[in-house]
Amino acid sequence: MIPAIALEIFVVCLGIFLLMADAFQEKLDKRAIAWGGIIGLAAVFALTFFVRADGSAFGGFYLNDPLAILFKRFALGAGIVTLVLSLEYAPVLECQIPGSKPGAGLGEFFILPVFTCVGLMWMASAADFVMIFCALELVTISFYIQVAYARKNVASLEAGTKYLILGALSTGFLVYGITWIFGMTGQTSLRGISIVLGMVPEASQTALLFGLGLVLVSIGFKIGAAPFQFWVPDVYQGAPTPVTAFLSVGSKAAGFVVLIRVIEPFLIASAIAAKLVAALAFLAGLTLIYGNLAAMPQTNLKRLLGYSSIAHAGYLLIGVASVGAPFAGRAVVFYLIAYFLMTFLAFLVLVPVAAASGGDEISHFNGLGRRAPGLAFGMLISMLSLAGLPFTVGFLGKFFIFEVAMRQGHFVLVILGIVTVACGFYYYLKVVRAMFWQPAPEDAPPITVSGLTRFAVAFLAALILILGIYPAPILQFLL
Amino acid sequence: MSLALFWIFAAITLASAVGVVFFRSPVSAAMSLVMAFVGLAALFVTLDAFFIGVVQVLVYAGAVMVLFLFIIMLLDLRADERRPVKLAAWAGGGAVVGGFMAVLVQVVGSLPALQQTKPALANPAVNDVAMVGFALFRNFNLPFQVIGVLLLVATIGVVVLSRRELK
Repeated sequence: MIPAIALEIFVVCLGIFLLMADAFQEKLDKRAIAWGGIIGLAAVFALTFFVRADGSAFGGFYLNDPLAILFKRFALGAGIVTLVLSLEYAPVLECQIPGSKPGAGLGEFFILPVFTCVGLMWMASAADFVMIFCALELVTISFYIQVAYARKNVASLEAGTKYLILGALSTGFLVYGITWIFGMTGQTSLRGISIVLGMVPEASQTALLFGLGLVLVSIGFKIGAAPFQFWVPDVYQGAPTPVTAFLSVGSKAAGFVVLIRVIEPFLIASAIAAKLVAALAFLAGLTLIYGNLAAMPQTNLKRLLGYSSIAHAGYLLIGVASVGAPFAGRAVVFYLIAYFLMTFLAFLVLVPVAAASGGDEISHFNGLGRRAPGLAFGMLISMLSLAGLPFTVGFLGKFFIFEVAMRQGHFVLVILGIVTVACGFYYYLKVVRAMFWQPAPEDAPPITVSGLTRFAVAFLAALILILGIYPAPILQFLL
Repeated sequence: MSLALFWIFAAITLASAVGVVFFRSPVSAAMSLVMAFVGLAALFVTLDAFFIGVVQVLVYAGAVMVLFLFIIMLLDLRADERRPVKLAAWAGGGAVVGGFMAVLVQVVGSLPALQQTKPALANPAVNDVAMVGFALFRNFNLPFQVIGVLLLVATIGVVVLSRRELK
């Protein structure tokens, strides 16, 4: 048995080791750094099974419960898949950064996800607003760099600037909200807040809600919930594709863990809890409508996936708004795992196809069913699962969410959810139509895929189908 | 006396902060930011937080602003050109700011704790530098280490994004 904090220490050491190797081994092939990152993160992933969930440490800053360990695995898995994507994407990126020789500047692109991964792991364990803030900033700042990494590409620079300015604004909201909560309770630790919350006088509750509202706005930015979603489409489209994938899965999942943790102590006070649930339900409804309707006219697949990530934040928010139900937390976590599998699968197919066809419009997928049947099949499974077809993990995720929402009496949200799922079928199946019913262009170049990517596509596709039919392994795990 | 000082320094801070936004020349805006920091430092001192006040002047008004001015001169930034006023943008921004201020005023007005005056320090001889140090390095050690990793990442980012030719 090893202490949980050792996991983060290992990953930080891995990052520094790779950084040193990159700096001092000039003859080293940069791909070796990515491989080192993948193997190192996989080793830490294996180590997570030797960690005991033994409560809090470091004076209550660091919480080590089953949820935290699960999300550490989630973050490590996301880091590994991102590095696989980065390896596949490296030739495209090389043309977009000013390098003095082939492969220059790629090392840091492979190392930054490792540090982002540490930040996500710390966020999963954060049990104090100070710790939440520090870990969140580590994640966000490493993303600013990665989004703007393709420096010779104007879209990437624009995305980086937009993300930086709006991210800084949302950080401002977070800090301001935390100061109000601290001012009213005298506590920054979530446990401390849950203890003193009952003693907060009636007259101060408005101020407490105000602080909580500001924190909610900031988390809304991170998870891309409407009306704080306006940065999502441009940033997702402009960022290098592996970064988009990491951002849409890792950053969103970490945002939801923090959201679950932050609202937990406030649910004790019934006056605050009722308002909080109402606010979350409102956000969920707005996000569902906006994300799904805005995704319908999109023609660029990266942008489409950006809007789809907003839509999925809406379904997840339904689950969070139903926190009173006994199964709600597990439903949200199951949905996040499903979202991880299907979103990464879509990006794993997108990267090689975009590299071969020179763009990530949906029309670049025309005739993929004939050009690369394996990739097309992977994309088909991903799209069907994102849309929520039965026998895929995406269907079960939505099913569990709607079930807990019904139990909590959120009937309007469930109806809204079912209607928007129908919209989802329209825009996800547009991609399927392009792949199988549209002819490939005459001069379509052959698509080359590395063995690693091929393995990852097959693995994720198989998991989506297996867990879609037999979800018991994950559900047992969540108990 | 201290109430009068509060109003004076609060007015200086707010006026300079407004100046940061409205000055068209980057240098004037930066100098206005220095004044805002100085006003803020004075407010900390009136709250008996001497160490924070001194650090505010040393680090923000001193080091950070010198760096700002240095970069502004280095990049040779000119004054912002006058852009056409977009009515919709102004109305939208104004509604958000106005709404936020209205909520803020209501929240502050309803708070009984804010009607009290600041009590005098129980022990004026307390060593606040040592206490900040203890808090930072002992109680808040884990977040402090996280900030260390954050600074490493930020350093990598600066090198990667600003170097003319990557190696």
